[in-house]
Order: sequence, then structure tokens, then C-alpha cells
Amino acid sequence: MLMQLILLFLFAGVPYYIYFEKTKLLSSEKVFLLSTLLVVLGISLEYIYPQEPSMFFVFVALLTSLFSLYKANKTTNLYKLSYYILFFNAPMLMMFENHEGILYGISLLLTLFGIYFMGKHYERNYGSANYKQVTGLTLVTPYAGLFLTLYLTTLALYPPFPNSLLFLNAILSAELNTLWYFVVIIIFFGNFLIAVKVMARTVFGKPNDNVHYIDLTVKERGIHIVMFALLFIFSIIGLSEVLS
Amino acid sequence: MEKLVLFIPFIPILIAFSLGFLKQKILMPKVSLFFSSGVALLALYGTYHVMIHDTEIYGFDGLLVYNELSAILVPYVAILGLVIRKYATKYMWDEPSYKRFFILLNFIFSAIYLLVMSNNLIILTIAWQLMSIALYLLITFNVESKSAIKNGGWTMLTHKLADLFFIVAVVLTYKTFGSFDLTKLSQIWLEMSEKGSIDDPMIYVIGFLFLFAAMMKSAIMPFHLWLPYTSEAPTPVSALMHAGVVNVGGILLNKMAFLLLLTPAVLNVAFVMGLVTAIGATLLMLAVSDVKRYLGYSTVGQMGYMIMEVGLGAFSLAIYHLMVHGIFKATFFLESGSLIRQARKDPNVPRKLTSELFWEEKPQYNSIKMFRLIALFTVVPVIAFVGIKYLLSESGFEFNAAILILAFAWLTGTQLFLSFFEVTKANSLKVLFILMSSFVIVLFTYEALGHALERFLYGDDALLFYEAATLNVSLAMTLLMLAAIMLGGWYFTYKQHYVDLPIGEHQPNKTKWKFYKFLAKEGYISDMYVKYFKIF
Repeated sequence: MLMQLILLFLFAGVPYYIYFEKTKLLSSEKVFLLSTLLVVLGISLEYIYPQEPSMFFVFVALLTSLFSLYKANKTTNLYKLSYYILFFNAPMLMMFENHEGILYGISLLLTLFGIYFMGKHYERNYGSANYKQVTGLTLVTPYAGLFLTLYLTTLALYPPFPNSLLFLNAILSAELNTLWYFVVIIIFFGNFLIAVKVMARTVFGKPNDNVHYIDLTVKERGIHIVMFALLFIFSIIGLSEVLS
Repeated sequence: MEKLVLFIPFIPILIAFSLGFLKQKILMPKVSLFFSSGVALLALYGTYHVMIHDTEIYGFDGLLVYNELSAILVPYVAILGLVIRKYATKYMWDEPSYKRFFILLNFIFSAIYLLVMSNNLIILTIAWQLMSIALYLLITFNVESKSAIKNGGWTMLTHKLADLFFIVAVVLTYKTFGSFDLTKLSQIWLEMSEKGSIDDPMIYVIGFLFLFAAMMKSAIMPFHLWLPYTSEAPTPVSALMHAGVVNVGGILLNKMAFLLLLTPAVLNVAFVMGLVTAIGATLLMLAVSDVKRYLGYSTVGQMGYMIMEVGLGAFSLAIYHLMVHGIFKATFFLESGSLIRQARKDPNVPRKLTSELFWEEKPQYNSIKMFRLIALFTVVPVIAFVGIKYLLSESGFEFNAAILILAFAWLTGTQLFLSFFEVTKANSLKVLFILMSSFVIVLFTYEALGHALERFLYGDDALLFYEAATLNVSLAMTLLMLAAIMLGGWYFTYKQHYVDLPIGEHQPNKTKWKFYKFLAKEGYISDMYVKYFKIF
């Protein structure tokens, strides 16, 4: 029970970001880093001490994840978006068997780190990680547009990217019950709706004449290529997992 | 050697990656066309191999198969792909992101090949979703257009719902039958159907989930709105969408044909939904004022026919239909550019084929005689067909296919009849000749090719599907219904063109006007979406 409670907290099942947002104790960038660190800790803990998923805690995580979905829908900041999505996916991490849950968790973290790095790029070149006015990346900054499209497609749970394959792998091995249907439907559509909405406002749209667009530097491209390579490796793992 | 055919789905991905490294714009379509020609040749070789050796080509641990269905569809998609790429070479030349277009085009073709050739539910799931995301990126190719992005979002939402239904169906299939292998599953389903009726409700649930997933991606009512509203995509994409992507529902249901043997109720629902779509979309098509939406609804109507055919157990006929319709619709879209070019030179373009044929003729109101003659020429071939069919094989009418073919032919004939009748208003022998020959061609093409395809795809098992489709539609009922439709059409045409209305006394009927407005506004559904569902 205590272990389940700890895992609920570590797997972002408790929206503790509210506290940091209210008190401004940590910046949104730091909140994201803290939450990923805690999720990694949770994954490690679950790996060492395997746990049977508790439906009660999954239900609690599902309720709080709906709130995070609402927040993710409202924000236009890439850092905030990253941790809202992490909190939104908490029921997935809670519900699925250790092995499958861990793989999905790592793949999700990789994707969110990709978005986080895009946020860094925004902050460096446009003053903040806010994407509201920086539209039409596909036309004016093709590299940034390409990588953001890749991350958001991964997030929207589309193959051949790993999130989709590992999601499928996880739901195949889980036991079917009413909560399973709720979690699968909410996570499946929630990730998709957020990703498509962000895509429509970043990579698509008319380029803003008042913004001086700057594409990814060679170094930044290198980081994103590494991220993409990692996602590709996870895609192969995901495919072999789901086919086995 | 024949195993090379199994690499077809991966070749477009290689093309896409190689395009990424090309600097010269002129090389992009050339590379794309060269390797796509290779795909088409490989596909034709695969088809030759399957036909000659009467065998299926399995590979990648049974994940992919080049079977009879692939042998028909892969060359079709490959040749369609070649035409679309060739067309896009010049059409897209001045567009920004020329390279991106060709890359995305290759990705969507890869997804379609994978979908057709998959022999495993997991691979099918991947292809099923991959196609949707590639389609989204192509629909929203014009990234600056707000409406393209918005409609793309709605399209994706419908497709995502289809993906969810599909994934849940796959999970339940695995939990119920313990396998992902489609060949193995088909064998299990066939054996189960031979044992008799199935009481397990889970099988029905799976059947319905697959059916609804297929209906959503094939734009069957009430999931149809995405198709008429995505015509803002570049013309080659529209051609691909109407000739290829929208057909995936029919392909999926053919892959699941043996499962549907166990679920007659699913087939019956498919028939009803298909019928409603065929009639509803045709009505909407006649009412909408936008020519692109007109074409969209035309495709929706044809998809309705396709699902209706599946509902009657005529699975192979659905494949034939989707291919014929695909070629027809792709020609329509790809021809639009040259028509616009001609129209700039000649104000009378575009003109209807019928207008061209009877351009010089003056209307003569020697109508009643002609009316009877056309009626005679339309009914006689049907009677001849029925007679021949009956003489050749009495069992022909035991199955719904015969009724379906008859229905389809008659409806198509009626449509042709009415369009000619409206345009010419003349006592022309040419009208009668064309009407009669087109009618007979449609009738016998469906009969001959439909059966040939049926033998090739399903062999003796084809009869099982007709037996499974238990919708109790007797021949007499069908004939009565069709006669009513045809007579109704005649009556309205006659009233419209041959009864003199007193000038100045004609008052618009309020009910009729409201009905027309309802249709022209597409049942206010799109307005409702815009007003109340501001998701994208």
C-alpha cells in the first residue's frame, strides 16, 4: 500500500506542479526536470521491487490526469506542455505490468525531452518557450518543423514511433476491465488531441511577419538526431516486443 | 526470386529517405518515378507468380503475404501511384516544399502496400494508423490554410476513432482466438463457421468493431463528413484519397471476410448502412453547391455501394467496385487541370459528354413516343439478363449476389437514363443506342468480371459468404423496390420536362424548399461542428 502510494507520487499521479506554479518556487523548466527525475526514480523502484498494479491508485491517477489534460489544453508554453503531458500519462504508468509500463515510460520521457529541447530552442531565439505567435515552422524553419512534427506525431501515438507500439504492447498484456477501457480511451485521445492542437499552432499556420525565425543550429540538430536515433531504437524494441 | 515482392512496402520508404538527401529539385520526381516503376513491375511479377503457380508468397516470418488479394490490389495501387507521381511532377513544381510532398507521398504508398500485404494483425494495425498520419500531413500540405488545417484535424479525429475501434478489435481478437496471424485466424473462423451457429457475443463485438473502423475510414454515413471537406488538399492528394485511401474499409473487410462469416448481423448492418449512405450521399451530392463537395459526396455514395456489397456477402465485388471507382475518380481529379486550361480558351468548356454528342440537335417535344422507346430499351436488357441467368443457372437467384448485380446494374442504368433524358430532350436514336449499350456493358461487366474475381479471390468459399449474409431480401422485393425507384424517376423527369406549367402561377412549395435547404446545408451537421465543437 505504502509502496503504491509512493509510486503514485513518483509516477506523476499527484499534480504537485500546482504548488510550484502557485508559489513560483521553481520555473516551469525546472518543474519538468524534477518530474522526469521522479518518474525515472519511480521506474527504477518498480524495476527493483515489482508491484501488482492497484486499480484504486490507477483510478486516482486517472482523475488527476484529466485535470492535467485540461491544463495541457490551455497552455502555450512548451515546458509546461511537457510536464502536463507527463502527468496526464500517469495512469498508463500505474496500470500496466512492470516491463511494459517501464518501456512506455522511457519512450514517453524521450519524446517529452525532445519537446523540452524544442522549448529551449524557442527560449533562446524567441525569448520564451511560448509558441503562441511562432507559427508556420514547416515553411520557415524546416529543421525545427521536422523535429517538432516527429515529436508530436510520436506523442499522438502514431506508428512507427515507439510510444504507439509500446502503448499497444502494454494494452495487449493488461487485464481487460472497465477501468482498462477508460484509461485506454482517455490516454489514446488525450495525447492525440493535444499533439494535433499544438501541431496546428506551431508547425502549421501562416508564418508570423513580426517574428525573426531562426532554424536549429548544427549543434541543436545533432541533439535532435540523437533523440531521433533513440526513438528509432525504441521503435525497434517496441515492434519486437509487440510481435513476440 | 519471388520473395523480392515482399519488399514492396519498404521501397517507398527507401525512396523517401533518398529524396531527403537530394539537392536538385529536378531529380526528385525522376528518382521517385524510377523506383516506383520498379515497384509496379515487381508487383506485376508477383501477380503473375500467384496466378501461374496458384500459390501465395509468404515472408518475414509470415508477417507479410502476397496472396490473391495482394495480387489484385498491389499492382493497382502501384500503377495509380505512378500516374499520381507523374502528374504531381509538374503540378506541384511551383509549390513550396516540393521535396516534402514527394516524401509524404512515398510514405502513404508504403502504408497502403503494407496494409494490403499484411498477414498479421499487428502489422495491419501499424499500417492502418500509418496511413492516417501520412494522410493528415498531405491534407494539411498547404500549411498556411486555416481551413485545410481545421478540416485535417477533423479528418484525423474520425480516423483516430477508427484506430481506437480497430485496436480494441485487435486486442479482443487476440484475447478470444489467441493469434495475430491472419491466415491462421481465417482458418479458425472457417472451421467455426462449418460447425454451425456461433453464440459467443464477443465475436459479434469484434465484428462490429472492425465494421465500424472500416466505415469511418471509408466515409460511410454518419462518419462521412471528413471526405467532402478535405478537397482543399493538392489535386494529386485528392485523387489518391478518393481512389486509394478511402477504399481501405473495403480492403479491411475483405481481410476479415472469414470472421464476418460468423456474424451475419454485422453483414446485415453493413448492408443497411451502405444503403443509407448510397441514397443519402447521392441526395446530398445533388443538393450541394460546391463542386468539390459534390465530388466528395459522389465518392461517399460509391463507398456506400461498396459496403452494401460486403453486407450482401459479395466481398470480391466490393474489391472490383473500389478499383473501378478509384480509376474513374482519379481520372476525374487529374483531368481537372487540363479542363481548367481549356476553359480559359473556350467559354463553353467544361461541357458534358452528352452535350458534345448531341450539340447540334434541337429539342423536339415528340416526347411520349421517345419516352416509351427508352423505357422499352431499358427494360428489355434487364428482362433478357434475367432470362439468360435463369436459363443458365436456377441457383443464380439463391444468392444475394445476383440480386445485388441486378440492383446495381438497374440503378446505374436508371441514373444514366435520367441524365441522358434530361440533357437531350430530343428524339435521337443515338440516345437510345448509347443508353442501351452502356446499360448492357455495365450489366455484363459486373456479371462477368465480378464472378471471375470471386473465383480468383475466394474459390468455392465465395458461396459461404452469400449464405452468411442472411438479410432476407427476396428477388420479388428487390424488383419491386427498384421498379418503384425507376418509375419514380421517370415520373419526376416526365413532370419536369413534359408537363407545361402555367407561367407566373408557379408557387414554391414550402416543404420542398425546406427539404432542399436541409440537403444543401448537409443536414446542418457541419454548421453544428463549427459552432459547438471548437476543438481544432
